[in-house]
Amino acid sequence: MRLLLVEDDPMIGKGVQQGLQQDGFSVDWVMDGRAAERALGNKVYDLMLLDLGLPGIDGGKVLSNLRAGGSLIPVLILTARDAVADRVKALDGGADDFLTKPFDLDELSARVRALLRRRAGRAAPSIKHGSLEVNPATREVSIKGRELILSAREFAVLAALLDRPGVVLSRSQLEEKLYGWDAEVESNAVEVYIHSLRKKLGKEFIKNIRGVGYMVPKKP
Amino acid sequence: MNSIRSQVLVSLLSMLLLIGLVATAGIYLTVEAEFNELFDYELRQVALSFRDDSLGSPIGPPVQIVDAEDDLVIQIWDHAGALVYVSDALPVLPPRAGTGFSSVSTPGTEWRVFNVRLREHTIEVGQPMAVRHALAAGASVRTLLPMLFLIAGLGIVIWIFINKGLRPLKEVARAVEQRSAWALQPLADADLPDEVRPLVLALNQLLARLGNALQMHRTFIADAAHGLRTPLAAIQLQIQLARRASSERERAAAFEQLDEGVKRAAHLVQQLLDLARHGQEVAERPLAPVELSQLARQAVADHASIAHTKDIDIGIDGDPQVCVQGDFEALRVMLGNLVDNAIRYTQRGGRIDVGVRMEDDQPVLTVQDNGPGISAEFRERAFDRFSRKEGSDATGNGLGLAIVKNIALRHRASIALESSAGASGLRVMVRFPAQTQPLEPPQELMRAGDF
Repeated sequence: MRLLLVEDDPMIGKGVQQGLQQDGFSVDWVMDGRAAERALGNKVYDLMLLDLGLPGIDGGKVLSNLRAGGSLIPVLILTARDAVADRVKALDGGADDFLTKPFDLDELSARVRALLRRRAGRAAPSIKHGSLEVNPATREVSIKGRELILSAREFAVLAALLDRPGVVLSRSQLEEKLYGWDAEVESNAVEVYIHSLRKKLGKEFIKNIRGVGYMVPKKP
Repeated sequence: MNSIRSQVLVSLLSMLLLIGLVATAGIYLTVEAEFNELFDYELRQVALSFRDDSLGSPIGPPVQIVDAEDDLVIQIWDHAGALVYVSDALPVLPPRAGTGFSSVSTPGTEWRVFNVRLREHTIEVGQPMAVRHALAAGASVRTLLPMLFLIAGLGIVIWIFINKGLRPLKEVARAVEQRSAWALQPLADADLPDEVRPLVLALNQLLARLGNALQMHRTFIADAAHGLRTPLAAIQLQIQLARRASSERERAAAFEQLDEGVKRAAHLVQQLLDLARHGQEVAERPLAPVELSQLARQAVADHASIAHTKDIDIGIDGDPQVCVQGDFEALRVMLGNLVDNAIRYTQRGGRIDVGVRMEDDQPVLTVQDNGPGISAEFRERAFDRFSRKEGSDATGNGLGLAIVKNIALRHRASIALESSAGASGLRVMVRFPAQTQPLEPPQELMRAGDF
């Protein structure tokens, strides 16, 4: 899952990026409203973490511009302003959740997962797809009750595909989900992960649509 | 005696009483003078009536012509000096040689006497003065008594009216008394007597000022709390990252960041304290001559090592002796903030000049850098608390210039942000008011360690 972090404080930005990366997200970090709007133009993000007190274009303005443009991307507000009025304003202005600084990294991570789950139309914490069960919080994967060990990248590919069953994701789309701006992408990395996933899950689980990309079938 | 009511009552009533007494004395004297005239006439008439009787000798008991109340005493002597008639049981008046009116005193009594000689008889009619005094006193007391009633009545009426007049004051006092410390809305000033209104208006003005000060404090505390959240959030993040760290290298990096976060929080706390100490609302310390160039040298020396770590060339530009009337510690904080800001926002290898000079009789302090400068639209907001420059990765907390502005205001100095002479950079110019008298540099220069 690829997240956009908008935070003007270097220490917090760096810390959040690092923490969320450890939790398996790829995180792009920008420091002001203008850069956030440019980054959102790419439409590759699954979720945005937005600080309200930004220099230049204020966080609230970024949010209202985003919603005015019709974007459905979940937005989690991170802010030092905690008055009820601020929270109400942010939530009514199009935010999906609100976290006051200082916050717990684990809680932030959990809220991000919850928002992503909701966006995918699920409520249960774990994703069930046929005999496969995936828990994004613990990153535990089991098939027919048997535990599987997946690497972080393998897990990310699987989660991205499971997020929208029946939708074909191209190699570059998968790469975008996997890597932030700063990561070096090896040319055949996605194929390598798909290959090892098929080996662990079973060949029929991930379908290769030749010349287009990969998908997890809707009905397994 | 500190009560308006008692003062008015006592002074008014004692005045009335004094007037009453003076009037009584006046009446007494007037009445007594009239009585004297009247009774003298009576004495004479009584005495002369004997002559008109064409008394034969011896004189018989006189007809009762005298009003007993008047206490007249009549004594008659013959030519030989023998007492032939006494109206009382005993002779009380001494024989007198002269004729006409005179005052005679016998043991215990003052008399008014009239003598007349009739052929061989001497007739003496006397009256004790006490009778006259008593009559005059009676007359004056009869006028004084109603006056006393009048005074008592007036006292009651005055008491009632003063109470009524002071009621608005009591009501204002009660209204103020019943308030909580936070109820700062103005007191009602409708229907107040003219004497009470100025007090209530002044109170309302004070309440308004208090309200403003309180609001400023609330805002400050809220700002401070919000400002502290950011470094705290950074600290919490780094603690969690340190806990999660899987390698020694990651942990060390997290701890380094943690250390940085704590320093930031400490810096912010220091800034908040400076802001609280040098806020406009703080009672003013007396201003004393401060030598700006010495202050500038000290600020540069204090920041030399941190500038060195960023490879910034910091120095003094021109160094005349310039004195201002000021608060040394406040000015030190102000200059420290300006230099600190310049270092924060200037890139590695940059240059910072601190300058002091006189311009049109005004002492001017400048801190100039060749950093990125700030945009014209941000300059207006730059002095607001917690405002930070866009697109900067410096970890400022947005309080530095707010502190600088407060201190400049205290010194009635104007402060301007300008573009540096070169293409980029910022010049902060603090212009002090022209000094009215030449200032001697302080005798003993204070060292930084003194604070």
